[in-house]
Parts: sequence; C-alpha cells; structure tokens
Amino acid sequence: MIRKEAVKIIAESVGNNPIISANGFMSRDLFETYDKESNFYMIGSMGLASSIGLGIALKNPKKQVFVFDGDGNILMNFGSLVTIGSLKPKNLVHIVFDNSSHESTGGQPTHSSEINLAKIAKNVNYKIFVVQTKTKLMSVLKNIKKFKGPIFILIKISTSKERSKRVSWKPKTIRDRVIKAL
Amino acid sequence: MNEEQQRKIYHYLKSKNIENFVGVPDSTLKHFIDECLQNDNILITTREEEAIGIAAGMSLSKSNSLVFMQNAGFANSISTITSLIQLYEIPLIFLIGWRGYLPDDAPEHLKIGKIQPELLKIIGLKSQILTEENWKVKCNWALKQLKQKKPCALVIRRMFHD
Repeated sequence: MIRKEAVKIIAESVGNNPIISANGFMSRDLFETYDKESNFYMIGSMGLASSIGLGIALKNPKKQVFVFDGDGNILMNFGSLVTIGSLKPKNLVHIVFDNSSHESTGGQPTHSSEINLAKIAKNVNYKIFVVQTKTKLMSVLKNIKKFKGPIFILIKISTSKERSKRVSWKPKTIRDRVIKAL
Repeated sequence: MNEEQQRKIYHYLKSKNIENFVGVPDSTLKHFIDECLQNDNILITTREEEAIGIAAGMSLSKSNSLVFMQNAGFANSISTITSLIQLYEIPLIFLIGWRGYLPDDAPEHLKIGKIQPELLKIIGLKSQILTEENWKVKCNWALKQLKQKKPCALVIRRMFHD
C-alpha cells in the first residue's frame, strides 16, 4: 500500500471529522484525494500535526479528531506522544504513515525501522493498531469507534514515485475553512 | 516583576476571555505560572514549539490562548512562529521571560538575551515590555491585537539573580 491509497481509504471513512495533516506529501495526498473544509493542511512547522490535533481534540470533545502524521514528523516531536498520553483525549486518533523515510525531501532514511513506534505509543497510554494491508486498515477503521482514545494507528506503507499536486488553498483560507467547520 | 502583579496578570487575562495557558516553565515568570497551576488552568509541554502547536489548535477552535516561555525557547520556536502562526495568521499571545536582559546574567543567556528585541523585530512579531506599572495597559494592547486576529508578544525582563 502506498501513502496515497491509505490516505484515501481513511479520509473517506472519516467523513466530516477534522483531519490535521502533516506538511509535505501527506497534505498534498489528502488535498488531492479528499479535500474538505475541516482539513487543516500543514505546509510548514514540521512535527506539529499531533500538537495542533491535540489542541483541537481538547476543545472539541464531541468530534473525533484525526491526525495524519509521518514517521519523520513524529520523530521530530516525540514529546508530543508523552503529552497526548498523559492527557488521554478520548477523541484523538493519531495515525502514523510509516515508510521509514523522509519521502518529501528525497527519500532519505529515518530511524523508524530500527525502533518499535507502536510499542512506544502503547507505553504512553495509547490504544494501538498496526496495519500492513488495505483489508486490515478497513477493519481497524470500522472498529475504532468502539475504543476510547488516544488511538494510535501505525500504517506501514511503501515509498512511491507518485506525486500529488500542491495544496492550492492559501494558508489564511485553510485557517478560515477550519474555524468555520469546527 | 513582583509576585503580586504576576498573579494579577493571570486573573486579568482570564477575565478577558483568555482561556488556555500553555507553555514551558521559566523562572522569570514563575509567579504567573504558579497562579495558572493554583487555578488548575495550565498545560505544560515538553518543548515550546509543541505548546505553540497545541495553542494554535485551540485558537482554531475559537478558544483564546496564551503561550508562555523563556526567551531561549522563543529562539527555538522561530520557524514555528513564522511558518505556522504568522503564515496562517493564527491569533495568540506569547508571554516571554527575558533572560540575558541584565548583562551579568548566567552566561548561557547572554547571546540570545542581547539580541532578543532584534529577534522579535526581524520576524515582525509585535511586542511590548510589561512592567509593574504598565502591565494592564500592555495586556489591553495584546487583547486588541488578538481581536484583530494578530499574534503578539508580551515580554517580562529578568531583573534579579538567584
């Protein structure tokens, strides 16, 4: 499974719930496959998708809030796992698309292949799921409504040459759409 | 700034609809931070950028936030401020403790402390210095910036040694 396929499956399953997507190809894939008002597309500040998602989750307890993170992104803001695990927001679903590489900058390796990200998330109070296939991904998405968050879904994806277009919304427009949708 | 005034600042901002106090502790701001703790209204994060991200999420949810930090953490956060807060124009109040204001402060603070006002100017983040006499006026200035959807910074100078 490549990132864009996984992004499409999840975004369709998430429906109108807010998604905070990490900078780089992640946001581009989401924009191309399932653009909607409550998508917060990050185009900078690498690492902070999970923090922005936490802020939104804490203030919108009735909405399930989804974070689309990358392995390079979460490794850059690892403390965020501890903060989220301590506050235990029930409505936060933190998804890490793991290709063990910084694909947006040319595919340089990250260290995620040398460690067990899911185990770390489990140790800081997340409910964890590890997914390798589309079938498993769809069954996990069906089931997550039954569990209290924070939920961590680690999706192993392969790298790809496919490139989605850049997000064409201006940052202020992205902001205003999200504020309106929340 | 003395203890009484720092504690008053918390209550004043709270009464003016600042709902969230997120950040990394700093000794210059310790009485303000303690007042947040006493009122069980604080979120202490692992790094300053994380605090800015969380506060940004809260602001997008129409809930006003203040992010507190030492100026060492402000220096860490410059890229986050420019590529998240300023790029998307997310309204936030930064409260920054200014280490290295006194020329004989601890050595690790001297370099950033010396260029602190220039750093704020260079990135175009409007700021005001809070004192025991002017804090209410300056807080009102910050609240006005927030109403105009602009981020801004309030700075408290470290005037003592320990």
